[in-house]
Parts: sequence; structure tokens; C-alpha cells
Amino acid sequence: MSSSHDDAPVSPRSQFALTCFEELLESAVADVASECHRIARLGLERGVDAEEEELRAWAARDLPGAEEGGGGGNKGTVDVFGQVHPAVAADVVECMNCGRPVAAGRFAPHLEKCMGKGRKARTKTTRSSTAGRTRNNNGSAASSYSPYSSTGSANRASLPNGITDGGGSGAGEDHSNHIL
Amino acid sequence: MSTPSAPPPCPHLTAYRLASRPPLRCLRCCLRVRPLGRPEIRREPRELPQCSPCSFPSRSSSRLYACLSCAAVFCPTHAASHASASTSTSGHQIAVDVDRAELFCAACEDQVYDPDFDHAVVLAQSSSLPLPSASASPSPALRKRRRVDYRAWAPDPAEFALMSSADPTTSASAAAPAGLRGLNNLGNTCFMNSVLQALLHAPPLRNYFLGDRHNRFICPRRTPMRRRSADADDKAACLACDLDEIYSAAFSGERTPYSPAKFLYSWWQHASNLASYEQQDAHEFFISILDHIHENIKDDQHKSHAQGHGDCCIAHRVFSGILRSDVTCTHCGFTSTTFEPCMDISLDLDAGYNSSFGVANPKLYVRNGERSSGGTNAKLSTLMRCLERFTRAERLDAEQKFFCERCKERQESLKQMSIRRLPLVSCFHIKRFEHSSVKKMSRKVDHCLQFPFSLDMAPYLSSSILRSRFGNRIFPSEASDPDSVFEFSSEFEIFAVITHSGKLEGGHYVTYLRLNNHWYKCDDAWVTRVEEHIVRTSQAYMLFYVQKTLYYKTCERATAV
Repeated sequence: MSSSHDDAPVSPRSQFALTCFEELLESAVADVASECHRIARLGLERGVDAEEEELRAWAARDLPGAEEGGGGGNKGTVDVFGQVHPAVAADVVECMNCGRPVAAGRFAPHLEKCMGKGRKARTKTTRSSTAGRTRNNNGSAASSYSPYSSTGSANRASLPNGITDGGGSGAGEDHSNHIL
Repeated sequence: MSTPSAPPPCPHLTAYRLASRPPLRCLRCCLRVRPLGRPEIRREPRELPQCSPCSFPSRSSSRLYACLSCAAVFCPTHAASHASASTSTSGHQIAVDVDRAELFCAACEDQVYDPDFDHAVVLAQSSSLPLPSASASPSPALRKRRRVDYRAWAPDPAEFALMSSADPTTSASAAAPAGLRGLNNLGNTCFMNSVLQALLHAPPLRNYFLGDRHNRFICPRRTPMRRRSADADDKAACLACDLDEIYSAAFSGERTPYSPAKFLYSWWQHASNLASYEQQDAHEFFISILDHIHENIKDDQHKSHAQGHGDCCIAHRVFSGILRSDVTCTHCGFTSTTFEPCMDISLDLDAGYNSSFGVANPKLYVRNGERSSGGTNAKLSTLMRCLERFTRAERLDAEQKFFCERCKERQESLKQMSIRRLPLVSCFHIKRFEHSSVKKMSRKVDHCLQFPFSLDMAPYLSSSILRSRFGNRIFPSEASDPDSVFEFSSEFEIFAVITHSGKLEGGHYVTYLRLNNHWYKCDDAWVTRVEEHIVRTSQAYMLFYVQKTLYYKTCERATAV
């Protein structure tokens, strides 16, 4: 970074500035060099080998393409136990709220209506069928994703007084919701 | 990363130490510490060292050394000549960098290290720092955890008979390890399934429930009455009991997918604001259930979680760690320290660095400015880099000036986070969902993140961060930092990865589990075995690591958590 390659003579002021900069740069580089030297000599360097191996393994991974999204891509796949499952779980589950048998894959939307919760729940909770609700009950359909949903609306209203303890919370009913 | 240890001294350093008694005495008088802890060697406070052999005007002053024997000051180019010129009187080989307080051997032409010198520097640094004011938050009174030696256990004949007669529920066939079972999607509940799978196979949590530490049949919080009343405590549901049920189901040996309907019902009763048939955020769900488990089963006899103790409930015992936050005044060096408990660590994904997921870049290290063949600048996002960023000292905005108690006015400051105590299970949450209130939009950050299968958290501990803040000097004892007693092991092993694929609206969560050193993909009801590289290729959203070595500690009560 010397100015010797310049043909035109450098003014003393510019020379000063250059010298200043050179010193600052050298000082900064020496700082880093000194710190790294100390870290290396004192055995503080964390396992660089292990880290490099992980990076190598990562770089060697196949990049076939993005993993397929959505839960619907599994129909027909045989799982590790040799089983095949339908896209929407067909197991029958007994609702803890109303006692009705519900298909597992549709349990959540049923429960939402049943407990009177959810965005479209009415403040006056009843257990009657919810007319006018056009929500798609298909398990694989995704409604709008709200990762930090803080639906401070009607859902926080009074707990539905339609709840019975029909679902049971005592002992001995472990498998009430999993009837094969 | 262990504590720093001095390498064996070069012969010149050894000779110098023997020759001068006491060694380095004069140096200690000249040690001066600048406001932020940087040590330097000056005979007079305002001394401006210069290299005498250097002829003006090319006198360099970027790196100057002072001979320990005669206090002559010289630059590196004249170092060798000074050392050789005084061979008659030995000891002129060792010098000290006046601006960095580092020893230098002119004969070896290398920086050398001496524990006594470092000790002197540390003493000078600690005495120069402004003392924390009395009102500063005191460190949480961590009970000194005495370690208990591990004792092997083998069943006696009666126990053995009992074990043999029991139903071989673990049917741990070669096909799949115990506890592996699919979870039915109840309608957009993949967020719940993915977290449940990770919890099912978190070793300390699994052991707790399988070890019958929370028995749902005798839990006092469950009300056996079915009475219906207007003000019935709907929260009689105990999430820990429901979790216990799921453990029983998963480890029952039954392999057909299980429907966690009851758990969903219980959770909705607790977290009514999140109860809706909508996709939820898995991380939010995770925090929510840990919180409610705490509420359900917290032991009020124990000190609360707010004070940093993890003994209030199993959720905190497993996941709770302590973060240390240091805010330092850049003017005077005064540092304000606070501690806060945390159940997980949320990390920013350094967007803008990495190329999009589909572009392959096999280069491991690409310097900024270099172009890969694809024409895009691609620096790898790694978990360790995210953690480095998390524990980096950051200069706070000029708007966020911190009120320095010593300066008695608002000053610009540096903030640095570090981990004071590691949890048994570390959960890392990668912030992939950006919400901009300014732009009124949200988006998902798709960048790929490299994460290791074995992770050493030592560099991110408070002890390491503090040590490096003061130049990584060789401390003679770690008594100054009581935390070091607790960090027996900082090595972690990954056991679960929750990935998110798809868009912000309508994505899908999948959990990868590592069991018996094989990876399994748990996609709702479908559990399949996959190769390592599939896991590495996935988009990690939550990463779960467990401490490699668990230690037993002494406990006062018979029934400890």
C-alpha cells in the first residue's frame, strides 16, 4: 500500500493519511493475529475437525429437490411396520365433549364446533349443528396459517356451558378414544 | 473447549524466569487497563512508546515491544537485532507487546505465554473494572450441585422374574425400536403430532413418564367426578396425565397409528386462545404445553422457575436453562448483568446469505466476493454460526442508549448474550417466519440450515464468553466463576428435528427421530426409515439436542424430580 507506484508526487498531507491508515490496518490485523495465535496455542480452538466433518457430510448430502410439502403425499406409502394408511385417518374416536363417534381425521373440526371454539364460533355457545359454516372438513385442507394466532375474539369468551363430562376423565378409560 | 492451558515455555522464557526473581515484577507496575478491559504496558500513563532504532520518518508504531530486561522499545524488524546484540547478558530475548500485553520471544520470533503474566493481567483487569452496583441483579443462588457417582444396577432374581413375566411390550423387533408409533392427523394437527413425537423420544422426559413418575391413575389433579356445574373447573384436565397416556400408547407395542384426541381436547381446554381448527405454529404449541404442564404439576414447595431453578416440574427440569445478558457501557466499561430462564433458544436465520434451497453449492467455504459456478454468492447458514451470532457482542442502536449507573447518563452500549446453564435438552427454534408490522406482510424464510448431529455448546457458555471478553487469559483458578462447576459436560447429541415444508399458509410439519442411530421420518401416521442425508436436506424448524452424558446429583427429598 505504499505510494511508491504513483508517478505523481504525493502531498505530505496525503502521505500522512496513508501512513495513518497503514498503521491502523496493521494494528487491526495484529490484534486479530495475536488473538487467534493465543486461542490456537492455548488449546481453546474448538473441535475444528469435528466441525469440518459435519460440514463435509452436509455437503455430500443429496439434493434431490425440496421435500414434498403437505400431508397428502403419503397415501399408499408403506410404513416401517408394513402398514398402509388412508389419507384421512379413519379410526373412530369418541368425542369427549358430546360422546359421539367421530372419524379421527375429522376430529379437530368436530371438536371445534362441539366446544364452540374457533374463529367462527358463536359467542353464545350451543351444541346444535352449526348452520352456515362452510368450513371444509377435509383433513388435508389448510386454512390460513397463523403461526402466532392470538385470536382474542369470541374464543376467549365464556367457556361453553354445553360441556359435559361425558368423555370421562377418570381412570380406566384410556382407550376410549381409540377404538379399532 | 477446555480451559486454556499454557504450552511448555520456550527455553528463552524459561531462562528468563529463572534469571529474574521475582519474574515480571516490574511489568505489573506498568500494566494499565483501558476502559473496556484492554490491557497495555506503559511506564507512565501518557507514555507514547516509539522504536528507537527506527529512523524517522519511517518510524513504525503499529506493533511495539518492550524488552523485559532493559525496557528498550523496538519494532518487530529490530527485535532480532536487539536480542542478538545482548548475548552477553542473557534474558534480552523476552519482550512484551506494549499495546496488547502479550509476551514475545525475539529468539523464537513468536508470541509466548506465561501463566503468571496472564494472572497479573487478569488481576489488573478485574481491579480496573467498575464494581457492579449493589442494585445489580444478583446471580440466582444456584445450589451447589454435588455430583453423585454412577452406580450400576442389575435386577435381583425377584425383579428379574417380574421383568420376564411382563408383557414384552417393547416388541423391539429389528423393524423398529420401542416407542415408535405414528400419530393420526386429526385435522390440521401436524403441528401437534410433530412436537409430540419429539417429546416422546426426549430421553429425560421419556424416562420420567415410563418410569411412572407421573401416574395418570393416581394424579390428584384429575377430578373423578362427572358433576356438571356452571363454574366447573374445566381445567381439571391435567396435561401431564394426558401426556402419560400418550407415552403408554406409544410404548405399548401397538404399532397402528394412535389418535391423540384426548390430548388435543385437554390442550384446547387450557389454551382456549389457540383452540381452533387452524394450523398452528409448532413452536408456539411446544411452549404452550410446557407452560400448562408446569401449571398442572408444579411443585410449590420448590422455588419457582422464575428464580432459575429447574426443579418445579419435569418440563422445566428437562428444558429449562439460564441465559445471561450483559450490557456494557462503551464509555466506562460498567457492565449490567441479568439472568433469565429460558425453555428454548430462538435463533435468527441469517437471511440474505444463503442461496435458495434448490441451488446446489458443494463448496464448503466460499469467500465473500467469490462467485460460484451458479453465479450466486452462497455462504452457508449453519447452526453454529447462528449460535455465534446469538452470543456475539452487539452494539445497541443509538436510540437504545443504556443508562449507565457509573456515568450517570445514557451511553451507547454493547449487549452480549451467553448461556449460563445448559438444560438437559436444548431446543433450538429457527425463526423462519418473519412478520413485518411495517410492511404488513409475513413470509417464510426458506434458506437451508446446516446443523450438526453432535454439538458442543462450550463456546456459547457464559464462562467461555467472559473469558474471551478478557483476552482468553490463563486463569489460575476458576473460583471466580462458580458456573464452571456445573458445566460438567457441554456435549449434546441430536435426537429430533421438526421440519416445516411448504408455504406460510398451508405448510406441513414432519419430525425426524434418531433412534438407535437410525433416522425415522414421522409424518403423522406414516413412520418410515430414512437415510441421514434426507434429514440433512430438510428444512429444520426446531432442533432437539440432549446432553450426551447425564450426571446424577444429590437430592434432599426421597422423591426427586
